[in-house]
Amino acid sequence: MEQEEERVRELLGFLGPGARPDVRSQAAAHVLGLTGSAEGRALLAARPAFLEALLLLTGESCAATARAAYLALVNLAAEPASHGALGPALPLLLRRLLEPGYGLAEPVCTLLANLSRAEGTCRRLLQALREEGTGLAPLVEAFCADGSKERPALHYLGPVLANLTQLPEARALLLDRSGCLVQRLLPYTQYEGSAIRRGGVIGMLRNCCFEHKYHEWLLSAEVDLLPFLLLPLAGPEELPEEEMERLPLDLQYLPQDKQREMDPDIRKMLLEAILLLTATKAGRQLVKEKGTYLVLRELHQWETEPGVLAACEKLIQVLIGDEPEAGMENLLEVKIPEDVEKQLQRLDLEEEWSQGREAQLGSQGLSR
Amino acid sequence: MFMKKSPAEIDPEQNPALACLQSIIFDEDRSPEEQANTYKNEGNDYFKETNYKKAIISYTEGLKKKCSDQDLNAVLYTNRAAAQFYLGNYRSALNDVIIARKLKPTHLKAIIRGALCYLELKNFPEAVAWCEEGLRIDSKEKKLVDVRAKADRLKRAEQRDIRKAKLKEKKEQSQKEVLHSAIKERNIKLFLEASEKEDEISDDLAEMSLNGFSSENAMGTKIYLDENGNLNWPVLFLYPEYGQTDFISAFHEDSRFIDHILVMFAELPPWDLESKYHPSNLELYFEDEAREEMYQVNPENTLLQVLQHQRYFVKAGTPSFLVLVKHCPFSKNYFLGKKVHRLK
Repeated sequence: MEQEEERVRELLGFLGPGARPDVRSQAAAHVLGLTGSAEGRALLAARPAFLEALLLLTGESCAATARAAYLALVNLAAEPASHGALGPALPLLLRRLLEPGYGLAEPVCTLLANLSRAEGTCRRLLQALREEGTGLAPLVEAFCADGSKERPALHYLGPVLANLTQLPEARALLLDRSGCLVQRLLPYTQYEGSAIRRGGVIGMLRNCCFEHKYHEWLLSAEVDLLPFLLLPLAGPEELPEEEMERLPLDLQYLPQDKQREMDPDIRKMLLEAILLLTATKAGRQLVKEKGTYLVLRELHQWETEPGVLAACEKLIQVLIGDEPEAGMENLLEVKIPEDVEKQLQRLDLEEEWSQGREAQLGSQGLSR
Repeated sequence: MFMKKSPAEIDPEQNPALACLQSIIFDEDRSPEEQANTYKNEGNDYFKETNYKKAIISYTEGLKKKCSDQDLNAVLYTNRAAAQFYLGNYRSALNDVIIARKLKPTHLKAIIRGALCYLELKNFPEAVAWCEEGLRIDSKEKKLVDVRAKADRLKRAEQRDIRKAKLKEKKEQSQKEVLHSAIKERNIKLFLEASEKEDEISDDLAEMSLNGFSSENAMGTKIYLDENGNLNWPVLFLYPEYGQTDFISAFHEDSRFIDHILVMFAELPPWDLESKYHPSNLELYFEDEAREEMYQVNPENTLLQVLQHQRYFVKAGTPSFLVLVKHCPFSKNYFLGKKVHRLK
């Protein structure tokens, strides 16, 4: 144990500004290697001095050293123990992310994605965004910007947005009717280049669908959310002309090589988002009118994943079932009996756990 | 006395005071910036009166001053674009806003105008892109949010129409191919226009005459393959003696000529002045156009049998046959000088 302490203290010395640049660089690479294992993360995540040294290294003029420091932080950010020390750096990270010429925006973005997974840190991030005075618009801009050689596309902004929209305040900013933020994100439900980006946007949309007061607006021509949720679920099947014409325009006459969303977890999120949209009477009506059932009928024939099939069946039930009795029309406002509530909470927890694992896998992937 | 409108042309003889005023406004001694600004104001006044043509002239004069104030120039270009826009000159308007944006990239009015131009020019993806550029400057600009929504909707509708047309084309193509191989299987030859090398016709089948089928003939009917895999042809009967014709829109390939003739001539046609067109009196021929020879057809034969004749070429997707009366003087005249292959 003591030996370990000694090792860490020594390493910290090599990382610091007192060490020679080549030593710092080697030390950063070594730390990155350490953070690739669970033991390494457990050893380092709870040491504020260490995290601060790494943060300092991200400002290093040598890009390789700075990148190694960022990636080590990305891995450490998977451990909630690191968030206390990293939280104060959020405004700095945000400024770097949005700085047009900044070369390491990509690892900054990944780091923010991992940090924003914890609710407390997520709140701090939103706070930092607010203090910049611009809300979510710059993040949306950066997300929509095409990648270039100097500045790759920031796919991990998808998960950042998904994490932020777990907060009702962030949802209110994104769904501001006078702006045009959510509209601009919609095309990315079909983004082929990155499942991280797609999954992020779709997770974000699902979060937004919890706001039933916005449902009619989201389903109106102003936003027209539904086709963007249905399109990834639609396959190349040819429907009779009469059915085809009942679908939203975006889903009509799809080419024969049309493919469905490949990731079952994303398919499930899409179905959950649509299910949320059916929570109110008006929403239900609009979702039914747009031929949603036809898309789900074909999906159900094709789908093999039990979890997705179950979500699909649940939604079909709502679409073809009878309307709920008076006073129960808004499913998000219905009073839920205590035992049912408890069960739902348990299900939610399971889901969160599985999502957490997913994100962590992502961060480990980076440390290789 | 007030002037309701700004005078366009001032005659110094009639209105010396006005001419004097005008010369003060456009005094050449003033700086180009001041002069350009005066033209801008003049243009704006015309614009308010919806006199867009005069407004364009004023803004153009302002631009001719080539003043160094690029913001002012950007405004002149943008305003001239607006006037062009209201005259329906969307291309000219677009050219102006493109220059305006170069002079002043953050000039929102130019961006909005540009998006509106693209919308009118039905270039919806560009309209959306311009709106998004503008929203980068002001994420809540109402006009941009609205135009973007509209252009995006139209863009998606357009994409849907393209997909629909593509699918339709593909289907028609595959139907044609099926039809084509059905014809080829039967060894039926199609007449190739503008080609004198008749021997090569059957080799060229693939190229050729899909067109003959895709375009409907004059009667608006096409050959089709029925659910039993049989071809049904549109067939034309010609009665040269009276310049009359009969058209059968779907002649089943396995029906015999006599079956149709019995129905068609169950009653004498009104043009048959001599009452001689009885089914038993009629002879059928087809013409070998390349060699200018006639072949008599046995009415007991089916359409398919005749079409498979080594000298039968289907022209324009519609087989045609001549109908003449036996031993009639007209027929003798008609065949004069032609080689006729009669039934044995």
